[in-house]
Amino acid sequence: MNKFLGNKAAILLFTLPTIVLFTVIVMWPTMQVFYRSMYDWDGLNPGKFIFLDNYIRLFEDRLFYTSLKNGAIFAAMLAVLQIGIGTVLALTISNKKIRGRKFLRVSYFIPVVLSVTVVCQLWLAMYNGEYGLINKIFETLGIPYRQDWLSNGKTAIYAVAAVNAWQNMGYHFALLLAAVNSIPEQYLEAAKIDGAEKWKAHWKVTIPLMAETYKFCFILAITGGLNAFANMQIMTGGGPGTDTYTLTYMMYRSAFRVGEFGYGTTAAAFLVIECLIVTFAINKLIARDRIVY
Amino acid sequence: MKKMKKALSLGVVLSLTMALAACGSNKGNDAESSASNAQEGVTKLRIYAQYSDEDTKGYYDYAVAELSKEMPNVQLDLEIQAQDDGQKLKTYAATGNLPDIFNVGLDQINVFRQSNNILQLDEYVDKLGFKDKMQPSAMNTLYTDDNHVYAFPYAGNELILLFYNKELFEQNGVKVPTTFEEMHAAIDAFKAKGITPLSIFAKEKWPDVAFFDMFATRYNPAGISALDKGQAKPSDEAYVKAAQDIADLVKAGLLPKGATNLNYDQAAALFHEGKAAMFVNGQWEIEASTKALGDKVGYMYYPAPDAATYESNKLAFSGGGTPGGFAVSANTKDKELATKVASFMALKYAEFKYTQKGSPIVSTKVDKPIVKTFDPMMEQLAKDLPNITSTTAFAWGLSNTKFKAAIEDASQALLSGSYSAEQFVSDLESAMK
Repeated sequence: MNKFLGNKAAILLFTLPTIVLFTVIVMWPTMQVFYRSMYDWDGLNPGKFIFLDNYIRLFEDRLFYTSLKNGAIFAAMLAVLQIGIGTVLALTISNKKIRGRKFLRVSYFIPVVLSVTVVCQLWLAMYNGEYGLINKIFETLGIPYRQDWLSNGKTAIYAVAAVNAWQNMGYHFALLLAAVNSIPEQYLEAAKIDGAEKWKAHWKVTIPLMAETYKFCFILAITGGLNAFANMQIMTGGGPGTDTYTLTYMMYRSAFRVGEFGYGTTAAAFLVIECLIVTFAINKLIARDRIVY
Repeated sequence: MKKMKKALSLGVVLSLTMALAACGSNKGNDAESSASNAQEGVTKLRIYAQYSDEDTKGYYDYAVAELSKEMPNVQLDLEIQAQDDGQKLKTYAATGNLPDIFNVGLDQINVFRQSNNILQLDEYVDKLGFKDKMQPSAMNTLYTDDNHVYAFPYAGNELILLFYNKELFEQNGVKVPTTFEEMHAAIDAFKAKGITPLSIFAKEKWPDVAFFDMFATRYNPAGISALDKGQAKPSDEAYVKAAQDIADLVKAGLLPKGATNLNYDQAAALFHEGKAAMFVNGQWEIEASTKALGDKVGYMYYPAPDAATYESNKLAFSGGGTPGGFAVSANTKDKELATKVASFMALKYAEFKYTQKGSPIVSTKVDKPIVKTFDPMMEQLAKDLPNITSTTAFAWGLSNTKFKAAIEDASQALLSGSYSAEQFVSDLESAMK
C-alpha cells in the first residue's frame, strides 16, 4: 500500500480531476478578473487596454474607501459576534449538566439553514422605523429611544452586519462545539485538580487547544464579512445612498448599474487580494502545528 | 443506525422521484412546443416585456389578444422583463441570445447600437406608417440623439406629480403650500396631528431623483437633464439650493420614519389610507389614487422658494419622455415580421393606456373610443398639458450612466437625513470627473 501511494503516477492520477476542476472553475476566472481589470470595457463591446488606470481611479474613488471601511466593519462584527458568542454557546452546551442540550443545539443552528432572503425579510420587519418589533420593545419598556435602523446612514451597516452575524452564528457554534467535544476530558480534569475554576480552565486549556478551529473560523468570518453582498442587496440596496456599500457591492454597481465592467473587475481584483492578505495574516498569527491530543 | 438507513433511503427515493418528475415535465414542454411548431405557418417570436403585476399584465394581455386577431399566424413567447437595470438583456446580447422583440430604455439603446445588437428602424417607421401615427408632441420619444430610430415608443411624455389629500389639508386647516416656508408650516401642522406630511417610496431610487429634480426645476427648469447633458454643474447655485431645501425639509420631518426603506406598496398605503398628506409619483398614479381616495385627491404645482418663482415656474414639470419602447434584435430571422409585430405591440400598449387606463399621455394617436373615462385629476392634467413650459427626464431616461448611478445614490442619501447638501454636491462632482 505504501509503495502504491509513493508512486508519483498514482498521485497524479488521483489528484488530476481536482486540479483540472480547480483550474477551470477557480484559477481561470480569477486570472480573467485580473486581466479584465486592466480594460476599459462595457461588457459587450471590445474593451480598450488601459493597464493600471482603473487601479489609479479606484484609489481616488471615494466610494472605494466607503466600501473598504464598511467591509472592515462588517468583518469585525462577524468575527466578534459569531466567534465570541459562538464560543460561549459551545462551551455552555458542552457542559453535560445543562438541561435540554439537544434542543438548544438544534435551535442555535436553525437560522443557518434558512435562506438569506427569509432572514432578511424577517429582520426588515423587526427593524422597521414605524412599527418594527425592536422600536416597539423600547416603547413597551418606556425607553424613549427610537431608531431608524436601516435608513440612518450611521447605524445601517451595523444593523445589516448584525443580521448576517446572527444568521451564521450557529455554523461557527457547530464547528466550535465539535472542537470542544474532541478535546479529551483528562485535560480539563487535570486543570480542575490543580484548582482551576471552570471558566478559567476553559480559558487556559480548552480555548488554546481549539486554535486550529479558531483559525478556520476567523478566516471564514472575516472573508465572509469582506465579501458581504446578499444582505445589503435585500435589506438596503447599498443605501441610504452609498452608506452600506462593500467592495462586492461596488463591483456590482460599477458593472451592472454604470456598465463599466472593467472598473467593476478592478474592485473584484482588489477584493481577491484583500482576502488573500487576510487569510495569510490569520495563518501567520495563529501559527500552530497540528494539535495532537 | 437503522433509523439513519431508513432516512437515507427515503432521501434517495425522494430525490430520484423529483429528478424523474423534472425530466417528465421537460419532456411535456418539448412535446408541446414541437406540436405548435408543426401547426401550418405559425411563426414563433420571442418577446421580452414587462409582466410582473396586475398593471403591466393588462397591457401585455390586451396587446396579445389584439395580435391574435390581426396576425393569427404569429405566436409570442413571453420572457418576463427583470427589474435589473437591463442586466438580463445585456447578458442575452453578450451571449447572442437576444429575444426577437424587447422592451428597452435609453441606456440600453446606447449600449446596443454600439455593439450592433439592435436593429435600426428608420426605414420601418416610414414603411409601417408608424411615424404618421406619432403624436407630434411626442416625437422626442422616437428619435435618439443621432437622429435614428431604435425602438417603437408608446409611453409618451409622462410627468412627476405632487399628489395631495385635499380633505386632510382642509380638516387640519393647512394651506396648500406654494412656497417652502408654507411647506414648513404644513409639516409642523401635520406632525402635530400625527399625520405623515409626505410619503415617498425611496427604496427605489428613481422617485428620489424625481424628488430632487422637482426642487431643482424651481431654480433651473431644465433640472437634472441639464446635468445629464453637461449643460450645468452640480455646484451651480440651482442644485446646491435644491439640495439644501430638501435637507431642511427632511430635517423638519417631511418624510415617514425609514423612508429610504419603503417600497411602493408601503408608501402608497400611507397615502391611500389617509395617513400621509402628500405623495410623489408619476402621473400613472392617478388611477390608483382616485380609486383609493376618490375626489379627495388632487395634485399641486411644486412649491418654490418664493411666490414670484412659484407663479413663473408653475408649469415647468419634472419628468418627460425619452426614446424607448419595443425594439427588434439585429439578428432576428425575419426582420419584416418582427418589426411589424413590435410596432403593433407598441401601438396596442398605447391604445390600452388611452382607452382602458384613462390616460391621454401616450406617444401615438389612438382612434378608438375611450372605455374608462378620464379621472378628474386627469382632466385637470389634460388642461395643463398644452401649457407646460418645460420637462426634464426620469432617472431611467438619463443617458450618462455614471451620472445616473451617482445621482440615484446621492438623492436617496439626501432623504435619509444624515447627509448634507455639501456632501451631495461633492459626491456628484467627484462621480462625474
